[in-house]
Amino acid sequence: LQALQKVNERLLEENPAESLLFDVILITTDSQQQQQSSRVISSTRHYGLEVSRFCFSSEEDFIESLQKNNVKLFLTTDTNEVTQASQTGVVSVLLDQQTAVCSSEQLRVMFCGDAVIRPDTGPMPLTRQAAQSFSTQLGEMRQKFGMFDSPLSFILVTSHGGRESCRGALQMLRSRGVSVDEAYCLAGAPRGPMLSLLQPHFLLRDGYSGLEE
Amino acid sequence: PKPENAITIAVSSRVLFNMEKEQQIYEQQGMEEYIKYQVEHETQPFSPGPAFSFVKALEAVNTRLRELYPDSEELFDVVLMTNNHAYVGLRLINTINHHHFDLLCRVVHRALLYDRGKQSHRLLKAYHTNLYLSADPTKVREALEEGIAAATMFTPEKMTEVSETQLRVAFDGDAVLFSDESERIYKAHGLDKFFEHEKAHENKPLDHGPLKGFLEALGKLQKKFYGKGQRMDCPIRTYLVTARSAASSGTRALKTLRSWGLEIDEALFLAGAPKGPMLEKIRPHIFFDDQMFHVEGAAEMGTVACHVPYGIAQRVTKKVIKDLETE
Repeated sequence: LQALQKVNERLLEENPAESLLFDVILITTDSQQQQQSSRVISSTRHYGLEVSRFCFSSEEDFIESLQKNNVKLFLTTDTNEVTQASQTGVVSVLLDQQTAVCSSEQLRVMFCGDAVIRPDTGPMPLTRQAAQSFSTQLGEMRQKFGMFDSPLSFILVTSHGGRESCRGALQMLRSRGVSVDEAYCLAGAPRGPMLSLLQPHFLLRDGYSGLEE
Repeated sequence: PKPENAITIAVSSRVLFNMEKEQQIYEQQGMEEYIKYQVEHETQPFSPGPAFSFVKALEAVNTRLRELYPDSEELFDVVLMTNNHAYVGLRLINTINHHHFDLLCRVVHRALLYDRGKQSHRLLKAYHTNLYLSADPTKVREALEEGIAAATMFTPEKMTEVSETQLRVAFDGDAVLFSDESERIYKAHGLDKFFEHEKAHENKPLDHGPLKGFLEALGKLQKKFYGKGQRMDCPIRTYLVTARSAASSGTRALKTLRSWGLEIDEALFLAGAPKGPMLEKIRPHIFFDDQMFHVEGAAEMGTVACHVPYGIAQRVTKKVIKDLETE
C-alpha cells in the first residue's frame, strides 16, 4: 500500500491533474473486524495509509462489493477468496509473509512470461482479459516515468522454455504497452531464489495469481 | 540442466559480444540514448567479444558429452548476465539466435539503477555459478569475496585463432589455483627466501586459490571422457603456466595438485620468463592470472587473458600507486 501511495505521489508530481491513479479500498468479510470498524479505520489513518473506502460486507456479498467497486486488483491472504474472486473475473492475488519484506518505496510487479505467451485458444477467460487490461493500465502509468528512479518497476520471469519464450514474452508485453525493466529467462531453474532476490509485490498471470513456492 | 548438476559459467554481455560502440554511446550520451540505439538496432547482431570462442568451445564439449552420456545433466551451462535494460536483452537474444548457440542459455538481464543492493553476486549464487566472467572489475571482486570464481576479461587487439573442437584453459599457479601465501613470501623477502621456503615446504600442499574449484569441475568432465576411452581425444585440455621454475619451486605446485586429486595436462614452468610467447603457442581459449603484467603480456600476443583480482599482488599495486600519488 505504501508503494502504491508512492506511485500516486510521483504521478501527481509529474502531473497534478493526473487521473490515472491507484485507488485503495479496504474490504473485510470478517465479522469480528466489522465490529471493530472504527478501530480498523483509525488504524489505517495511524499508519498513514490512504484508503478511500471501507467496505464491511458479508462473505456472500463480498464478490458483489468487488464488482460494484470496479476492482481491478484484489489482494488477500485467503485462498478461498482468491479462487472465488478469480472465477468472477477479478484479478486476484494471494499475499503471504514474503510480501511484508518488499519495498515501500518502489512498486515491483512481476509478470510470469510462461502464461503471457500462451496462444489464445477459444474465448478468453474473464480473468485473463481483466489481467491484460490491468497490465496495460500499469504500462501507461510506467510510461510517465523515465528509465531511472521510477516508483514502478516491471519484472518479467519466464520459468520454462528457452530464450525464445523470453523474447516472445518481452515482445508481447511491449505490444500491450508494458515496457519491462528487468527480464529473467530461467529455462527450468528453480524460481524460489529469484523471487526472494527480486522481491516483487505481486505476480500477474492469466487468472489465478499468487506468490507460490 | 538443473543448476546444481551443471557447470555454470556466467558471462556478461560485454565480454561475450563486442559492445564497444554502444558502450561509447552510453558513456557520452547517457542511458536513454543508449537504450534507444539498442532498440533501433534490435535485429542487428553484435559481433563476437573475447569470451565468444570460449563459449563456442564449451558448446563443442557439450556436444561430445551428450554423445557419450545422453541422459546426464553434467554439462556446461552458460548464463548471460547483463546490467542492461530488458530491451537490450532482445538484441542479445537475437544475436545468440544468429550465431546458432545450441547451449541452453539462460539470459539474465538487470536494469541498471534501482539496484537496491541486488548485487550481481547474489544472482550468481542463486544460479550455483562455477565461474563468472565480466568486463567490470568491481563486480568481479564482489564475486570473489563471496567465494565465486571470477575474473575480469580483457579484449586483445587481435585474437589468435583457437580450436573449435578442443577447449583449452590455462591457469597461473599462485593466487589463482593456489593461495597467495608463497607470493607473499616472495614480495616480502625476495626470490632466494621464496626458493628456500618452497623447498622446505615441498611436501606441504599449498592452500587453494579462487580458481581451484573451476579446475576441479573441468577435471570431473575430463574423467567422463577418460571413462569412455577418450583420453587421447579429450575435448578439454588444461595448462598450468607459472613463473615458478621446474628445478625448484615447481615441485611444490605439482605435489599440491596431486594432493587435491587434480590433474593438469601440461605444466609450464617459465622460471620468470614472460608468458606471452608460451601462451601464443598453446592457444588457450582463456588464461587466468592474478597479475596485470602477465594479463597484458598475454593479451599483447593475442591470448584472451583474464585478471583474477586476488591476493597480495593487488595490494602491492595499490600501494605503489598510493606511494606515487603521495610523492
